Amino acid sequence: MTQHGAYSIIVNIREGMQQQLNDLLQQIVDDDVETNTIVPFKKITTIHFARFVMLDKGNDAEGRSVPARLAFTTNFDMPLNNHLKQMVDVAGPGLWRIFAMCEGFPQGDYNPELLETFLATNNKKSETFYVGVGYRSVQQIRNENILRNSINDYIDSNRGALLNQSAIACRKQIIDFVNANPEMQWAKTPEPAASFIWNLMFWGKLIVVLLLFIILIPLIIPFVIIWMLIMLFHEINEKQVPNPVTKDHIRVLVNKETQLVQAQFSALGNLKPGTFRHVTMMFLLRTTDFLAPHLFSKGKLSGIPTVHFARWLVINEGRQMLFLSNYDGNSENYLRDFIHIAAKQLTLMFCHAEGYPKTRLMVFGGAKDAEGFMAWARYRQVITNVWYSANKQVSVKNIYNNGKIRNGLYGSMTEAEAQKWLSII
Amino acid sequence: MQEQIDVKDIQGIIIRGYSNFPAAEFLLLSIKDAALSKKWLSSILKNITPGNVKPDDVAAHIAFTFSGLKALGLNQNILDSFPIELEDGMTTKHKQFFLGDFGDSDSANWEWGSDNTTPVHILLMLYAKDSATLASAVNAYKKDFDSYNIQEIQSLGTTVLYERKEHFGFHDGIAQPTISGLKRKDSGENCLAAGEFILGYKNEYGQYTPRPGVPAEADQSNLLPAMPQTAMHDLGLNGSYLVFRQLKQDVSLFWKYVASVTKNMDGSVNEEEMIKLSAQMVGRWPNGTPVVLSPDKELADMGDKDDFGYRDSDPNGFKCPVSSHTRRSNPRDSLDVSKPVSLSISKKHRLLRRGRSYGPPLTETLKPIDCLNAAECDDDRGLHFICVNADIGRQFEFVQNGWINNIKFNGLYEEADPLVSNHHNPQDVKKTGSFCVYNNVVRKRMTDIPEFIKVKGGAYFFLPGIKALTFLANF
Repeated sequence: MTQHGAYSIIVNIREGMQQQLNDLLQQIVDDDVETNTIVPFKKITTIHFARFVMLDKGNDAEGRSVPARLAFTTNFDMPLNNHLKQMVDVAGPGLWRIFAMCEGFPQGDYNPELLETFLATNNKKSETFYVGVGYRSVQQIRNENILRNSINDYIDSNRGALLNQSAIACRKQIIDFVNANPEMQWAKTPEPAASFIWNLMFWGKLIVVLLLFIILIPLIIPFVIIWMLIMLFHEINEKQVPNPVTKDHIRVLVNKETQLVQAQFSALGNLKPGTFRHVTMMFLLRTTDFLAPHLFSKGKLSGIPTVHFARWLVINEGRQMLFLSNYDGNSENYLRDFIHIAAKQLTLMFCHAEGYPKTRLMVFGGAKDAEGFMAWARYRQVITNVWYSANKQVSVKNIYNNGKIRNGLYGSMTEAEAQKWLSII
Repeated sequence: MQEQIDVKDIQGIIIRGYSNFPAAEFLLLSIKDAALSKKWLSSILKNITPGNVKPDDVAAHIAFTFSGLKALGLNQNILDSFPIELEDGMTTKHKQFFLGDFGDSDSANWEWGSDNTTPVHILLMLYAKDSATLASAVNAYKKDFDSYNIQEIQSLGTTVLYERKEHFGFHDGIAQPTISGLKRKDSGENCLAAGEFILGYKNEYGQYTPRPGVPAEADQSNLLPAMPQTAMHDLGLNGSYLVFRQLKQDVSLFWKYVASVTKNMDGSVNEEEMIKLSAQMVGRWPNGTPVVLSPDKELADMGDKDDFGYRDSDPNGFKCPVSSHTRRSNPRDSLDVSKPVSLSISKKHRLLRRGRSYGPPLTETLKPIDCLNAAECDDDRGLHFICVNADIGRQFEFVQNGWINNIKFNGLYEEADPLVSNHHNPQDVKKTGSFCVYNNVVRKRMTDIPEFIKVKGGAYFFLPGIKALTFLANF
């Protein structure tokens, strides 16, 4: 069973190197993000999604300057050291060229050990990491989609014969076809389930936290009430910052959305100043991070059925938030889903950012103001210089359904069960 | 509180589709001289039919593209207040991708509305009780064009087909939303906030869709009302946006394809199966009966049926395929979220359709078997797809991109709309569409669906309210 990680490195770009870095990243895109010689992403088989985002120089909420930075992030199959090693093995010299334009990077000739150390030591943990594709490796997602396609092609060419049979017989024929296919020997056995230890840890942690929570409820309730009153006071007094989004900004962003199935979103926002805000936000983000694998285990982020991965990072000494996600569809559709499906939950996490539509008690208002939310999201959205997806032809729902198709290959089924299985193919 | 809709300031096309006026013609015009065009506009203002008038013989409506508003001489900051969708139009690279206008539908091949044809500035829509009345109305306009230096780019005729069907032979225009606050009453699910279709009223979010405005000093004679909470005058109030796409339909190809994949073992046409598959692709039977309510045959009294859902009776699309045209263009309660959320999402992406067919029908009564057997002819026939919406991005473009063209719609793998979508996106090596229908054992999948429609022209228009028109004629 595969676990997923979110690797993030965010480093200052050396003074005067912006243009050169921008050009180098653009070269990756122009050459073909999968096969270019700088970072040939397709060969880094542990990556689900990856991106380079150049964050412009700017000012934080209190007017202090924020340097220009480069963010490089991946959604990868654990373990991390294996992932980093593979990146260095495959794309070491290219990554060296890129990070040589950043501060704190070892100077001189290419040195894979130094690069790997640099990548490892600068890994920034996400405050919240959401996984929509549930414990499936890059290769498993690819294989199971091939399996689904092959079964469908098989049915297309044998439909006449299959039609006159029972569902059980049809299923058997399909299983025989899969088993006889030399390229699908991996499908003969199911993906190993989680170990007992893993389950114990997974559920144990949750149970301990919930028990603590229940025991402490008498203390928590008055504390939360007081906390919320203070928050309300902050909310009433905070000045609303405008989001002067321009048509040209939107044009640049949507022009980069050219994939048939998936798209990405990168946004950088200033956080509202003050320790109270900061503590509240960190608590909410980290609590969500802890609960996410339990709350959102069916490929739905607060009910939104299209998100592969998402992460929230608090960066620049807590002055800014970087939000990155990979999803199905287009950004208009995606942002509307936020408003329509998960306004309250996402408001709770985003309302600490400057310019977010006004909230009350962190859940009321906010994304309910659809126009305000769209303006905020677009204004804060930044250009993703390089974006890569390993399995760009599958949606989150496809990935889940492919898993069900594969699992239907094992064990015995009643006629009704077999019929149901055939209907999801 | 229900807002009072100022019906007399709204162009009547938003209120009614003029089903009592079978004759209609759409003129596409280009402005050559701003001052003269404004004079012309002044001279025809009295002809534009407001929503409170139900004319007996002729109705007229007018709408402007972004370049048309520019050609009239509106200054830059007024132009900037229009939405990006109107400004960018349908033919940018991004819009080609978003709307799926590839291959034969590439705007480079359009007859009008593309970058290499005369820019369309004005759409003049004329409706009349009969063709003679229409002809005289059209001629009355046409004879003035020269003196006002207005160029007629195209004059698009229309046809009313047998039993108000469209060319493929299906009853059209059934599922129309009802605007709250007008006279017509409807179920809650189908009753939409006025702001979804008319600017200046609350939309389904309880908000006002951004609308164009004019700095007060640019409207010295106060032709426009003040826009609340701003220093602007309200150019958008009681207006809307109109989407126009000329879609050529290949009726022979449609029926030949459907017949070919449903034929009997001996190669003969299986009429019943052919019609059934076509109905599954459309989502309604030729007479309009929803396939989800009657999967096996059309029912005489169900042709206009519109209060139904998919979730409870057909969650997986075994009766009416998830990919069918009507199930994806208006998914109702079937999206993969809770039922109330699905219904509320569907309400935010509705279109008020005002399209008309054009060109001669392939056969008189459009009976499928007759269409199949008709001698193939390459007549230009199709649909002038016209819809009205307050937010082109959230309504028309969303439906077209997120639902019609989206091969992953609602859990699907590779199925775009089987009836109207385009299959020539360069990223997709396969140049045909896919469509699945289910039965008891193994689904039937078609992977060789050709394109049945071809886009021949199109543009986005601003459909101003009456006061806004007066302003445009006199600013």
